[in-house]
Amino acid sequence: MSEWRWRAFKAVQSLVERLPRPWAYALGVLAARFAWWFSPLARPRLEYNLKVACPELTREELKTLSWLNFRNHAKAYADLMMLPRMKVEAMRPLLHVDPKALGYLEEARAAGKGVMVVSCHMGSYEVVSAIWSATLAPVSLFAEELEPRALFEWYRDTRARLGISVLPLHLGGLRKVTQALHDQEMVVTAIDRDITGTGQMMPFFGRPAPIPLGPAAIAVRLGTPLLPVCVFRLPDDSYRAEAVPPVIAEPTGDTRADEVRVTQQLLRHIEEFIRRHPEQWHIPHRIWEGSP
Amino acid sequence: MKVGLVSPYDFASPGGVTDHVRHLARQLRRLGHEVRVFAPSSRADVDFDSAEFYRIGSPISVPVNDSVARITLSFHLADRVAAIIERERFDVLHFHEPLMPALPITMLRMSTAANVGTFHAFAKSNIGYFYGRPLLEPYLAHLHRGIAVSEPAKAFVHRYFPDFALDVIPNGIDTSLFRPGYPPIRHLRDDKVNILFVGRLEKRKGLGYLLRGYEFMKPRVPNSRLIVVGDGPLRSSVESYISRRRLPDVVMAGYVPDSVLPRYYCSADIFCAPATGAESFGIVLLEAMATGLPVVATEIDGYMSVLEPSRDSLTVKPKGWAELGAALVILARDGDLRKRMGSYGIEKARRYSWEEVAVDVLSVYGEAQKARAQREAVGSREVINVHDAV
Repeated sequence: MSEWRWRAFKAVQSLVERLPRPWAYALGVLAARFAWWFSPLARPRLEYNLKVACPELTREELKTLSWLNFRNHAKAYADLMMLPRMKVEAMRPLLHVDPKALGYLEEARAAGKGVMVVSCHMGSYEVVSAIWSATLAPVSLFAEELEPRALFEWYRDTRARLGISVLPLHLGGLRKVTQALHDQEMVVTAIDRDITGTGQMMPFFGRPAPIPLGPAAIAVRLGTPLLPVCVFRLPDDSYRAEAVPPVIAEPTGDTRADEVRVTQQLLRHIEEFIRRHPEQWHIPHRIWEGSP
Repeated sequence: MKVGLVSPYDFASPGGVTDHVRHLARQLRRLGHEVRVFAPSSRADVDFDSAEFYRIGSPISVPVNDSVARITLSFHLADRVAAIIERERFDVLHFHEPLMPALPITMLRMSTAANVGTFHAFAKSNIGYFYGRPLLEPYLAHLHRGIAVSEPAKAFVHRYFPDFALDVIPNGIDTSLFRPGYPPIRHLRDDKVNILFVGRLEKRKGLGYLLRGYEFMKPRVPNSRLIVVGDGPLRSSVESYISRRRLPDVVMAGYVPDSVLPRYYCSADIFCAPATGAESFGIVLLEAMATGLPVVATEIDGYMSVLEPSRDSLTVKPKGWAELGAALVILARDGDLRKRMGSYGIEKARRYSWEEVAVDVLSVYGEAQKARAQREAVGSREVINVHDAV
């Protein structure tokens, strides 16, 4: 089964990577339309999540928003499929970094303990990671291991050629994360979804949800600055990266309490990002109890 | 000195000659010379200022020497080139592959500067040189000085033009770019022994033999990984071979941009170059050595002019995949040997840095200028003699 899924993905991918960007997007949006109509779970779940994030939405607005969300998600997929032929130089004009965000990044880097970029499933992190990797310091993505395995390996290899390492969320990966931070590199991770099932329940948009404490735990132990960043797609299909001032985890002695406190601090920023760009928060998964 | 560098190949697509020209131009400029580059280019945005780069013609792909050369074949460029030469008044024009149509050969004919030609290519035979010999010889006479990048490249030119004097000046490498100490690609840097291949995926690079060698090696050294950097026409067949034989731990990295390539070298333990021939020089070998990697390579002339087997490398017969596998096993099992060969390689690669190479090239420029002055002197005396006779 997974073998066939991988083959189907590879077949579509090898077609899409040969297309010009607007065509790839058109194909993506077409696929998104079908997914939006027919997906049994993704759309209800997404709409549920969006409703929690923005409770003031009416039914009609929610519908529009979830369609926009699917559309952006499909474009992100198209970007991913075009990645093997992308060049860092060609990506450069696609990214607009808020000058303030660069300032915060420099501030965080100045501590000399690496930077943990914390974010959510929004926009596309390849572009910003590739460019920062080429200009500032090597970037690693701390991300889940996808199934099937071949897909994960493909995902890893295509990122690696842009200078991005992909570290899995297990002990070996964690060791490498600490090593990377020790060498003053940057690690990008998302905390809006608990993948390993070890998250701590805490309010997320006012309702309890399992949230991973990993990034905060690393920051408390190593003193690494945490930088909340959000990357979102602009109407002309380029990206903009924004950030808020870095969060420094000051250990008070009670490690667990520190981790929870810091994570909650980060979550407030993430919530802010999501509320500003709900149409880009691609997360058709179960986060809260009661989701379909 | 005002120098013009002329390359026949597409400046926008990667290649050995193009890189050579690019680095030489940079190094000469660093030494205070004025440099202009002439090349065809498929894109307008090359990494040189428009004042320093003349984009002459657009390239087309021509199959040559088991590979694809992207050259321009427009012969109507002559007027434009002549105007530029007239305006710029070069001291030296340096032609890369001087007998390659259409750009270098056109410019060579009309150049009045001191002409230097560098021969990069090496092959078993060249139909163009063979049949074109009577046509090409007068062109060759325009060159005041010739350079070959290696002994095999020199021998290759001498087969067809035995009387033409050539100095051997090796290719350079950028030792500030290729050095140990880059952050590795994190997920490739684990307890596995990484074998690295870098090159276009085409038949003459011999990746097929490396894959078979790796297949031979894998059961003997289970904690090993093969990293293939490069793209090319054989990519899909390489991928299907890997999946058909279920070869584990092969990473197809695809085309890796120059900014990331040193990180791949720093993620590897062994460098393997299994080319089957038609390589005039092993620039990738030097890059690997400069990064401190031991090399496993095939015994072809181009590579052997760079390598010292058993000091910085293990060498095997071309196409001998079992031998190749065995050599990989030896190196993969012996960390001390890898370290020893690697550190010798770093020392050796210093001799090939662009700083050293540019100095040699400049001395050839000086000789060429002298030769040109002499020829002119001889030429004018001849005219006087004619008048004397009248």
